[in-house]
Amino acid sequence: MNLILAILFFIVPAEEKIKINDPWVRPSSEGMATALYFTIENSGEEADTLYKVDSEISKMVQIHETYKSGDMMGMREVEMIVIEPNSSFELKPGSHHIMVMKLIRDIPIGDKVEFLLHFKQAGEINITAEARK
Amino acid sequence: MKRIFKLNLIKTFLQLFFVALFFLLISCQEKLPLNKDLTKRSYAFLNQDSAAVNFPEIILGKTTVIGFIYTHCPDICPMTTHNMALTEERLHNQGIDNVLFVALSFDPERDSPEVLRKFAEIRGINFNNWIFLTGDETTTKDLLKRFDVRAIPTDSTFFEDGTNSYSIMHTDRISLINNKGILKKNYKGSTINIEELITDIKYIGE
Repeated sequence: MNLILAILFFIVPAEEKIKINDPWVRPSSEGMATALYFTIENSGEEADTLYKVDSEISKMVQIHETYKSGDMMGMREVEMIVIEPNSSFELKPGSHHIMVMKLIRDIPIGDKVEFLLHFKQAGEINITAEARK
Repeated sequence: MKRIFKLNLIKTFLQLFFVALFFLLISCQEKLPLNKDLTKRSYAFLNQDSAAVNFPEIILGKTTVIGFIYTHCPDICPMTTHNMALTEERLHNQGIDNVLFVALSFDPERDSPEVLRKFAEIRGINFNNWIFLTGDETTTKDLLKRFDVRAIPTDSTFFEDGTNSYSIMHTDRISLINNKGILKKNYKGSTINIEELITDIKYIGE
């Protein structure tokens, strides 16, 4: 039994250990920027790292964090997001987000936009995010 | 004896009255802690239709909620705008439609009237109760100072086509102004408690 479980553990694709929940983007216009949000759930026994995001809707997509300095707010690029084993990481308004710049078309409310997330362990994961306010 | 008793009673009553008045004044001040007159100078701006408008002329006679934004901001400014839109929606549901919502851009270089109009339209904002403002750099900076709002360009991202886009580090702010052009209260734009703002709007009389 233990042997079967061990074999199953190794043949379960790594991708399934990483789940992306509730992806959404803010509506925005052609030429402008928007933010992509979602929650990454890591049910695996080892940490994984989101290091890159692509989309056909933009040639420049970066991982960003919003930060506070006194009463001012700013944002900056971060190289990666590490998701610890058996934990989740939420990209949310006012915090970490995916910065999508210089959009090639409008994203109206209700529109759907595809993104490709790159993880060090799980590889590539496609997601579709809905535009909402 | 009776007279002394009466005098003491009056004295105690007056003491209690002034203590109550003191606490009432303190609580009013805490509720709306600012009292800055914004009518002493006027500022020329363009609205989302490229029409020339004057601040504070456009806000006089109406309770005004003003937010400070730039349209290339992907995170904080959309939150601020969304919070203003939610406030408008909740006020409308309570039968209050005479509050003015103003969004002032602190990025006049990129935020033309057309850009501001598109920014609003794609978010479903109608212009019945909203005005988006942009102006020249000096005017914008002058008015921002009146509100103690700071906006400092920071990191730039360079694109393959040779263009670049900068971010702006800025004060996270929504302000409430009464119908006489007096700034009454500041809030954090992105994380504002909408119910608190609505209570304050009702308190100063819509």
